[in-house]
Amino acid sequence: MKNLPFHRRKDVRLALRYLVACLLVVIFVFPVYWLFIISFKTPDEIFAFPPVWYPKSIQFSNYFVLFKDGDAKTVLNSLILATVSTFFAMILGTIAAYSLVRFKTGGENLAVWIISQRMMPPVAIVFPVFLLYVYFGWVDTFFGLILLYTAFNLPYVIWMMRGYIEDIPLELEESALVDGCSRWAVLWKVVMPMARSGLFATAVFTFVFAWNEFLFALVLTRTEVATYTVQVTHYFGGQSNFWAKIAAMSVLGTIPVFIAVATMQRYLVRGISMGAVKG
Amino acid sequence: MTVAAATALRANPDRNFRYWLLTPAIFLLLLVGLFPLFYSLIVSFMRIDMMDTDTSFAGLYNYANLFSDKRLWAALGHTLLITVIALPIELVLGLAMAYLFLEKMPGRQIFISLLILPTIISPIVAGATWRLLFDNRYGPINQVLGWFAGHPVTALWTINPQLVYPAIIFCEIWQWTPFMFLILLAALSNVDRSQTEAAAIDGAGFLRTFRRIVLPAIWPVMAIAILIRGLDLARIFDIIWALTAGGPGTMTETISVYTYSQGFKQFETSYTAAIAFLVIVILTVVVVWAIRRMGLAK
Amino acid sequence: MSDLKITGLHKYYGSFHAVKGIDLEVPSGEFTVLVGPSGCGKSTLLRTIAGLEEASEGTVEIGNKDVTWARPGDRDIAMVFQNYALYPYMNVFENIAFGLRARKFPSAEIDKRVANAAEMLGIGPLLKRLPRELSGGQRQRVAIGRAIVRDARLFLFDEPLSNLDAQLRDDMRVEIKRLHQELGRTMIYVTHDQIEAMTLADRIVLLRDGRIEQLGSPLDLFERPANLFVASFLGSPKMNFIPATLSGNIATLSDGTKLLLAGKREGKAKQAVILGIRPQHIALSGKRVATGHAQVKVTVELVQPTGSRVQVAFPLGGKSIVAELESRGVSKPGEKISIDIDMARAIAIDPQTEKVI
Ligand SMILES: Nc1ncnc2c1ncn2[C@@H]1O[C@H](COP(=O)(O)OP(=O)(O)O)[C@@H](O)[C@H]1O
Ligand SMILES: [Mg+2]
Repeated sequence: MKNLPFHRRKDVRLALRYLVACLLVVIFVFPVYWLFIISFKTPDEIFAFPPVWYPKSIQFSNYFVLFKDGDAKTVLNSLILATVSTFFAMILGTIAAYSLVRFKTGGENLAVWIISQRMMPPVAIVFPVFLLYVYFGWVDTFFGLILLYTAFNLPYVIWMMRGYIEDIPLELEESALVDGCSRWAVLWKVVMPMARSGLFATAVFTFVFAWNEFLFALVLTRTEVATYTVQVTHYFGGQSNFWAKIAAMSVLGTIPVFIAVATMQRYLVRGISMGAVKG
Repeated sequence: MTVAAATALRANPDRNFRYWLLTPAIFLLLLVGLFPLFYSLIVSFMRIDMMDTDTSFAGLYNYANLFSDKRLWAALGHTLLITVIALPIELVLGLAMAYLFLEKMPGRQIFISLLILPTIISPIVAGATWRLLFDNRYGPINQVLGWFAGHPVTALWTINPQLVYPAIIFCEIWQWTPFMFLILLAALSNVDRSQTEAAAIDGAGFLRTFRRIVLPAIWPVMAIAILIRGLDLARIFDIIWALTAGGPGTMTETISVYTYSQGFKQFETSYTAAIAFLVIVILTVVVVWAIRRMGLAK
Repeated sequence: MSDLKITGLHKYYGSFHAVKGIDLEVPSGEFTVLVGPSGCGKSTLLRTIAGLEEASEGTVEIGNKDVTWARPGDRDIAMVFQNYALYPYMNVFENIAFGLRARKFPSAEIDKRVANAAEMLGIGPLLKRLPRELSGGQRQRVAIGRAIVRDARLFLFDEPLSNLDAQLRDDMRVEIKRLHQELGRTMIYVTHDQIEAMTLADRIVLLRDGRIEQLGSPLDLFERPANLFVASFLGSPKMNFIPATLSGNIATLSDGTKLLLAGKREGKAKQAVILGIRPQHIALSGKRVATGHAQVKVTVELVQPTGSRVQVAFPLGGKSIVAELESRGVSKPGEKISIDIDMARAIAIDPQTEKVI
């Protein structure tokens, strides 16, 4: 490369970068591809040796089975749990963050305590919470799991929103106060709209977390509100003929996050970097 | 009454507003934060298990048992093993990928979008997917290895004691390297270009520029990424559950998997509480140490 | 009747004493300017009036009603902020209508008032635009529009022009003055710029270090400053200060120059003073010396034309003195000229108390 003219050297460099990039994409995307095609394969194709790398035809019978047996309902459960808990975590977390930023409530200590709650290992939380829920009859209810997901996501939401709220000029809020807004009205009409992109970025993460969560769902659900992650593991351990179900269920559960993330892509990327920079 | 005295009796009508804002959040945080801590602390001093509910004070009985529990220490060892291998690989790989995509190139955004797919799918699904990929007979991995080996390979990835850790770590790296990559890409993009260019003009090589200029600039972000991933790895549960369920035997049982099985399979209520408390203490100590060590504390 | 009455107002930020006992009464319809060096507590005082800061001590009455603990929205005030405080996600119309909507005005009334305000400020064609599509001056007009649609009892301005460039600042100053005349409302205006204060104010409140130094009409403060600080803060170029010894009416400078002060003074023994002479009160000597003027010969050191006039610096009494002279008869450095000092308008300051004698 050394003896090539400068502009040629640049071309070679770019070509090499593309080569490596494509290789990486193959490595990182291939497993997802495999998951998808298994879900479209017939049992013969799944258990063909050597493995079939692409199905002869796309067929949906693996999905029909999930809908017929009612297993697909677990995706709906996940959707309800993730959406509602994200909604509450965003609202409660944002107003709490606002209090921390604007009024310095509790000082730095409270803020540090809140973020430290994020470090709690779920497995250490879930056992006491399980016993508490048994006592109150909240096991296998939407309420119970939404409460837990909301609470578990709060430190993250508060931490992220703190950064976004700090960036809102105080004058905007004061101006609204002088104009006759109540404190609550200032929150809804000024702070929330001003923190919009931050709210979205944070909400995507909160949603994805709740959507993908497994341990709490495993312990605290039975049949009524079982999530798709729990459902996927129900097919484990059985014979390999559950493969089609594992794949189809996983795909059903993965498509909604793909959609959520794709539509929120720009917020997501910003959210990851912001979270790291400010967090 | 004077005017001054009259006003002193009144006060800001919004003085409690700030507390109303925090009340629901604090309440919920006590539920997931403080309650389990206190509960574990109290119950760990009793003797409750599947057979017996003895709520009298049992002293340090459960804590004494922790020390002689070989399975517990093995589980801690497994967790540590996975963490110390996966974390550096994710970091270096993520950094390399970040460098690859640092400069603009056509289609860059599409590449990035595709590369972050593993991170946004559920760890359970990731584990399940790799289970399919690793299958000794119908999985594509053994087939590809067979092409290179020149004869059929039938490695039992999730069963063979020699291969099960590589399998877990592979899956873990696959899922979380993109996360590192995204964070480090953002951090690298924020590095002041004029500084690296000045260093290049001064004749500093890549490594030197990285050590002297880039690393100090991205360190605050990198340290947090390491902290986040380190914590996640220390609590690793889902991927193990989906890939090996702790097997073969208890060979890949991590501390989370072990705690779970003590609580929900053996119903050792008090003993599980003691383990949970131990885990919280260990993590807190490690995190506080790490924050100090990495210079993140103010 | 007074629209604003402040009694014994103190403000502490933690242990920092920002406002140290202010008593102030502002009559209806008056344009009051709070002026002082940066950090002297002007904004704090204004924000306490608005209810954005809590008073630590003392009372605030607006329209004869004690509002010390009232919410900002309940005080019948409107405020214009330094950085405009426009909502970036609302267009100009919505920004101006914001306060009316918050107070649940019927929409027909809102349309009418916004249209009125927009016409008054000449921003009618901009109503559909977003704030980021406006220039700095236009944003400032929208911010003022937001305040005037409210038709409040008291208008508060916190350095509204400090983000504008010099030309626009002059235009907007005129605009604000005109608005005050048209609306006839009580306005309180904060600035650190003494020229803004002099040109806008019916009455100036000069603050330093959380206290009122002097209060009065611009001319009052300019001609009859109460102390050294007021004298040096107002006026541009700054007042000249020359140490002198006073006995009776005669001030002797360190170089022996003797100047006769106007008015009757108790002829005590010799007293050290600081003599204050405004650059505007010095002129080139004419054919004859007017009564109360002192004539002095000086050597020009520096000449700075400012357009219509020229600033000339020369040494006198051991100090470099600045005079603002007519452009005609401009001199070159080194030239000897004869000047007239209007001693009737000169002041003598006690160096110990810094008060004007
Ligand atoms: N929120 C605050 N906390 C602590 N000190 C403050 C605060 N706001 C203002 N100050 C201090 O009070 C003094 C007066 O501030 P301010 O009223 O803003 O001055 P200015 O006359 O320039 O408007 C300054 O010394 C400033 O540092
Ligand atoms: Mg100010």
